[in-house]
Amino acid sequence: MKIGVFICHCGSNIAGTVDCVKVAKNAEAFPDVAYSTDNMYMCSEPGQDHIVEMVKKHDLDGVVVASCSPRMHEPTFRRAVERAGLNKYMFEMANIREHVSWIGKDKDANTNKASELVRMAVEKLRRNAPLFSKKFETIKKVLVVGAGVAGIQAALDCADAGLQVVLVEREPAIGGKMAKLDKTFPTVDCSSCILGPKMVDVSQHPNITLYTLSEVEKVSGYVGNFSVNIKRRAPYVDFSKCTGCGACMEKCPAKKTPDRFNEFMGPTTAINIPFPQAIPKKATINPQYCRKLTEGKCGICAKICPTGAINYEMKDEVITEEVGAIVAATGYDLMDWKSNYGEYGGGRYPDVITSLQYERLLSAAGPTGGHILRPSDGREPKKVAFICCVGSRDRSIGRPYCSGFCCMYTAKQAVLTKDHIPDSQSYVFYMDIRAPGKLYDEFTRRAIEEYGTEYIRGRVSAIQPDGKGQYIVRAADTLLGKPVEVAVDLVVLAVGVEGAKGSGKLAETLHISYDNFGFFLESHIKLRPVETNTAGVFLAGSCQGAKDIPSSVAQGSGAAAKVIGLLSKPKLESDPQISNVNIKRCVGCGKCVDVCPFQAITKENIRGEIKAQVIEAVCQGCGLCAATCPQGAIQLSHFTDNQILAEVNALCQC
Amino acid sequence: MTTCFLASDGLASWLAKSAQTRRVLAPHKEGKAVLFREWKEGDPAPELAKSTISPKGAIIPACETLVKYQITKDPENLSKRSLALAAPTEATPTVLFGCRSCDARGLVALDTPYLKGKFKDPYYAARREATLIVTRTCDSPTHTCFCTWVGGGPASPEGSDVLMTTVDGGYVLESVTDKGEAFLKESGLPDGADKMDEARKTRTEAAKKVPARPDLSKAPERLKARFNDMAFWVAQTSKCLSCGACTYMCPTCQCFNISDEGDASSEQGGRRLRSWDYCMSPMFTREASGHNPRMAKAQRMRNRVSHKYWYSTETIEDGRFSCTGCGRCVAQCPVSLDIREIVQKAIEE
Amino acid sequence: MSVLTGKELRIVGFLCNWCSYGGADTAGVARATQPTDLRIIRVPCSGRVNPLFPLKALLSGADGVLVSGCHPRDCHYSAGNFYARRRLELLKEFLPIVGIDPARFHYTWVSASEGPRWKQVVTAFTDRIHKLGPAPKFQDAVPSYDMPDLAPVAPLRNLSCGANPALEDLKKQLKEALSDDHLFCVVGWQKSFDGLHATPLHMRKPEDVDKLIWGPFNVHSTANMIPQLVNDAKAAAMVGVKRGDPIPPAKKIGVVVKGCDGKWLVELLQEKLIDRDAVEIFAMGCNGTVSYDRIIAKIGAGKRIDSVEGNGDTLRVVADGQEYSLSMKDVAQDKCRACTVPNAPVYDHFAGDPVKVSEDAKPEAAAILAYLDGLTLEQRMSFWRGAIERCIRCHACRNACPMCVCREYCVADSREPHWVTQEDTPVNKLFFQLIHALHLAGRCTGCGECNRACPMGVPVGALKLHAARIVRALFDGYQPGTKLEAVPPFLGYEVEEKNIPEHQIEGA
Repeated sequence: MKIGVFICHCGSNIAGTVDCVKVAKNAEAFPDVAYSTDNMYMCSEPGQDHIVEMVKKHDLDGVVVASCSPRMHEPTFRRAVERAGLNKYMFEMANIREHVSWIGKDKDANTNKASELVRMAVEKLRRNAPLFSKKFETIKKVLVVGAGVAGIQAALDCADAGLQVVLVEREPAIGGKMAKLDKTFPTVDCSSCILGPKMVDVSQHPNITLYTLSEVEKVSGYVGNFSVNIKRRAPYVDFSKCTGCGACMEKCPAKKTPDRFNEFMGPTTAINIPFPQAIPKKATINPQYCRKLTEGKCGICAKICPTGAINYEMKDEVITEEVGAIVAATGYDLMDWKSNYGEYGGGRYPDVITSLQYERLLSAAGPTGGHILRPSDGREPKKVAFICCVGSRDRSIGRPYCSGFCCMYTAKQAVLTKDHIPDSQSYVFYMDIRAPGKLYDEFTRRAIEEYGTEYIRGRVSAIQPDGKGQYIVRAADTLLGKPVEVAVDLVVLAVGVEGAKGSGKLAETLHISYDNFGFFLESHIKLRPVETNTAGVFLAGSCQGAKDIPSSVAQGSGAAAKVIGLLSKPKLESDPQISNVNIKRCVGCGKCVDVCPFQAITKENIRGEIKAQVIEAVCQGCGLCAATCPQGAIQLSHFTDNQILAEVNALCQC
Repeated sequence: MTTCFLASDGLASWLAKSAQTRRVLAPHKEGKAVLFREWKEGDPAPELAKSTISPKGAIIPACETLVKYQITKDPENLSKRSLALAAPTEATPTVLFGCRSCDARGLVALDTPYLKGKFKDPYYAARREATLIVTRTCDSPTHTCFCTWVGGGPASPEGSDVLMTTVDGGYVLESVTDKGEAFLKESGLPDGADKMDEARKTRTEAAKKVPARPDLSKAPERLKARFNDMAFWVAQTSKCLSCGACTYMCPTCQCFNISDEGDASSEQGGRRLRSWDYCMSPMFTREASGHNPRMAKAQRMRNRVSHKYWYSTETIEDGRFSCTGCGRCVAQCPVSLDIREIVQKAIEE
Repeated sequence: MSVLTGKELRIVGFLCNWCSYGGADTAGVARATQPTDLRIIRVPCSGRVNPLFPLKALLSGADGVLVSGCHPRDCHYSAGNFYARRRLELLKEFLPIVGIDPARFHYTWVSASEGPRWKQVVTAFTDRIHKLGPAPKFQDAVPSYDMPDLAPVAPLRNLSCGANPALEDLKKQLKEALSDDHLFCVVGWQKSFDGLHATPLHMRKPEDVDKLIWGPFNVHSTANMIPQLVNDAKAAAMVGVKRGDPIPPAKKIGVVVKGCDGKWLVELLQEKLIDRDAVEIFAMGCNGTVSYDRIIAKIGAGKRIDSVEGNGDTLRVVADGQEYSLSMKDVAQDKCRACTVPNAPVYDHFAGDPVKVSEDAKPEAAAILAYLDGLTLEQRMSFWRGAIERCIRCHACRNACPMCVCREYCVADSREPHWVTQEDTPVNKLFFQLIHALHLAGRCTGCGECNRACPMGVPVGALKLHAARIVRALFDGYQPGTKLEAVPPFLGYEVEEKNIPEHQIEGA
């Protein structure tokens, strides 16, 4: 080989503590080095041009640059090397800035270390081989999991861009949590009024196929070519016939069915349409409460349905869709508020409710027709306590984070309480006020100054019924420095949020990472918030971390942009830094198949023998297979055993 | 011919004298194994047990450097390189002390490929020349020994420079070659001619202990006739593990591998190595094209047995079997595969 | 080129690209001063770090090795570091058996944002290595050639060398099975060249069964040949089949098994190296096997074996006309003394009654491990330096191991990848044995065949026994080859590991 070595001064960043001239001189003696020099700024245009010139002049077939971290400039120099006519993998970097010049001032030691790092890079490069990407087709279709506002936005943006969209929603109707809200901060406009049109767009968009009562069961394949199994629970209603007239609901005798949409604040019927603006506006039967399905008796709805849409024989089905990309937008659920905060009486005292339950009371389409009524006796409360940070910011229950929007909705709920009950008094028990968004702080101030909400800075230690119908809320007022007690009629807990139930299982199905709180892991928390480390899978909305509606919508569009960008290319290029199998050495033991985190390896029958084969487009290049194979038959290109051993041997030999 | 007498308690001091001018290799017991190690003055007198592995490693080491290479670059023009080669063919003068007749006869068999072909192997030649072989004749062959079956015997002098036989109070040392004679003359040991009768008696008794000798004269033609009888060879080899124990123990197995290794130093240098290889390995005959004429165990065992009992009768000048009957392959084989059984079955069945 | 300035020691780091390498960069950006010793090798994932890399570095002159990856759960490749955690923990606990101080190897998890923590880790680890000083080099250790004369541990139960009354039943089962031609062959044992040796027997016809023996000399593992024989049966079925014809089913391979052989079959099935319906297992309870070397130690080497007779605990050997009365307690193999599985766990036929094992049978540590545990690190290194010198790289140990199914492409012989050279240096030879032991960790059933097969008496089995006890400690007493559904520990992972601690360095 003929290797060129280029040592960068990086101004004085490297040259200040490393004798770059000496390093370049030392490199001349290294095996296969045919040219060695130093340069002020390798990444600059003249620096890169110098590489190109020297490759041509000295007929070099490999380049080592000793400069900053490869995480910074490896792509830069790879492009330069390509311009010089070489394959971009015939290039290695030695990090002599972040790992040498910046971490110490001993020039001798640094120069020595830099020389050794260059030697390691040279030895690895001597074992490098040119690598070539392959191009593969993609399916111009995207799966969006979760039809809350983020998922809806992502679906609409993708559909408008001409992609086919498969939108999967677990509940019988779309809209997620936003559909449950009465009004939204900071404008106090009606949630269904702003979400409704988007929901209708979804149902009418020719490019969107909507599956409700459905969940993603299995995902196989790879970016651009996923195969997804969607399990659709039987609605027992033929959607093509149901007109959403609601006659079935009126006559259904199973009137004690728990009402999920209304946060279990009141009963509903076994066959029901969850709320008037539901999309799809179709009835569905809850099979656990329907008397016909559980006991074989009744059947009234089928009799009275004017279009004969009811079908008790329907079965769950599995639908397979082929898509090119996946967006996870599964949102959040409230934390466990009953067992963790027993001192607040959640689950025991009927008038201690969650913020979402309160929204349903506020909502005109809710169980109380929009009247705020106490669940215990149906009377209007005059005094309402709002407790913030129930669960959030609490290390003792393993939830150290802030849920981001509770301060805002608490202020909103206090405002709405005053609107509904003008002679009411609201108390908000808070730790801090987080109102970072546009018009947020102004809104909170209005809640305090215009709507007379009393804000008390302190934790509530206990809530106890006083035996006369009210509840004593005992708290600390840290600004006054005194304990306080307030007797209230209703307590609303701003329960913190975590990843939606089942998010962990979905993450595993999608082969993405998730954290202890059920939130999915983004690729980079600042720079790549809607991507995951799994190629082709994106995130939008609260499933990635608690966030408000504007941010969810923004992420929905962001994820859509990524999907559109991904699928807009006619073909995708695979990363050639992937594993491949030397079938002569493979004995078909299958250990690599078992350990691959991405199921990128299969056992194939090749001329009568079982051999492992790598699916190139799925392999992410981790090298776990290479570390597992006992005889080294499967190797990770660009990080083969021999290449790594070359570096080890360059350092240690005796 | 010179004979000397060495008293048992004089062994260590006599070896020490040899160690002044030569490297002395003597049997050394380590756990269950006996192998040849360098003996230095001050070490206890070696036990003269038969070694677990033949001492052929003294003449053909398990790994040796054939060539050292060094590439140097012209500092004015780094693309201009020059290559320097060095072939280390010098050998250390050595006394191989305490091997057996089967081992020494093995060296005679090895002389044919290494010295008597078109090219004389300089590394082997130098070591062979520099090594003096003092063979201890066997007192009591074990039940796996069959040296007498293949033209040898517990006291065969072939390949040895000096024979050493146990007598009352010590050993009789008898020179076989001129080299051995010179060695004994310079040893300063007392004359041992009067002990020779006792020595001869010991040798005769030992020969009787070797199991009865079957007639193997038909082995070459029978093995030739059986060359394509794969059913026979498969039946004989089905339990073979294809390891290298038999070949590495064997005094006459000679095959090797050549590989190159780069040096650790930053200049570009390296060495070409020759190391033992075993024909029992499935990859032994794999060619660069990928074709492997002896992929099956049966073919490899057929090759090994035929090599010892047929091919060598055509290649070695005196038509001897290259097997010396040391029995190590039988004793050490993990599955107790018995070459005696195979050869006899090949003849009889 | 040894370019160390004399104030540094050789410390090699393997850092994963996504987290730890980024963390080191972050430390650099923050100008966090660190000692200069460390040399970083970048890998895509800590899961890429084959434990053999740090081992190679340590045996090749490194004074310390550091591996760092993403925090568990945060792996860029979702599971790489889960595997790494198990494998690197194994390596760390394995090192002391050959005399390498485990403090010289450290693995940790540092994320890309943890610059200050990286500085602490590097500083603390470098400090530790400097305090330990330059690592003793294996090839320079003073070899200790003497093998200790270890008293064997007492057997867990009464072992017997007498005839097994169920042998006739077994023979009947075999003859029946062989008579309808559905078996390609059945592997068992037969007599060999003397009364102290048996040799494997491949029975193909009912008449062959008459040669079957069952006794204390049935030391060979009949499970060894099974994957190869399964392939032979498939090949035999293909003879005369034309392209496009349906592939005819292959005949089954029968195998007669003791308990330990049975465990190997379970392990082969656990790893899906053979299909369950490719083998037919004939089991019988085993009462123990003998060590040829122990017998020879008692009766002396080089003798003609006239007759051998077993009766209960007593083995009567007549050699060169003299009678020797030996007790199974003295001459049984090490593995039989600690055996808790004398009956194959999975079988198709069982002859006779299973051998009873007491519920609270607790095997003692093998004598060789107890001996090595009592040595200092330096003494252990000398022990292996002396023992490994007589290794001749014949690979009998490897080929005697039923788990070594890749023996034809073994890393001991290959250049792709090139872990060892052909040179017969102590480091090369030791490295091969360490590769073998680490490859078998979590899979080795402790059959001891490797030890028995070694013609030079290198105690290679001790390395595997040590790895096995690490596996038992880390994975709740996991025993390879006892449960068909179990996943071998190093081919799986847990998100939370109960027994793997997070190692701290003083000062970090």
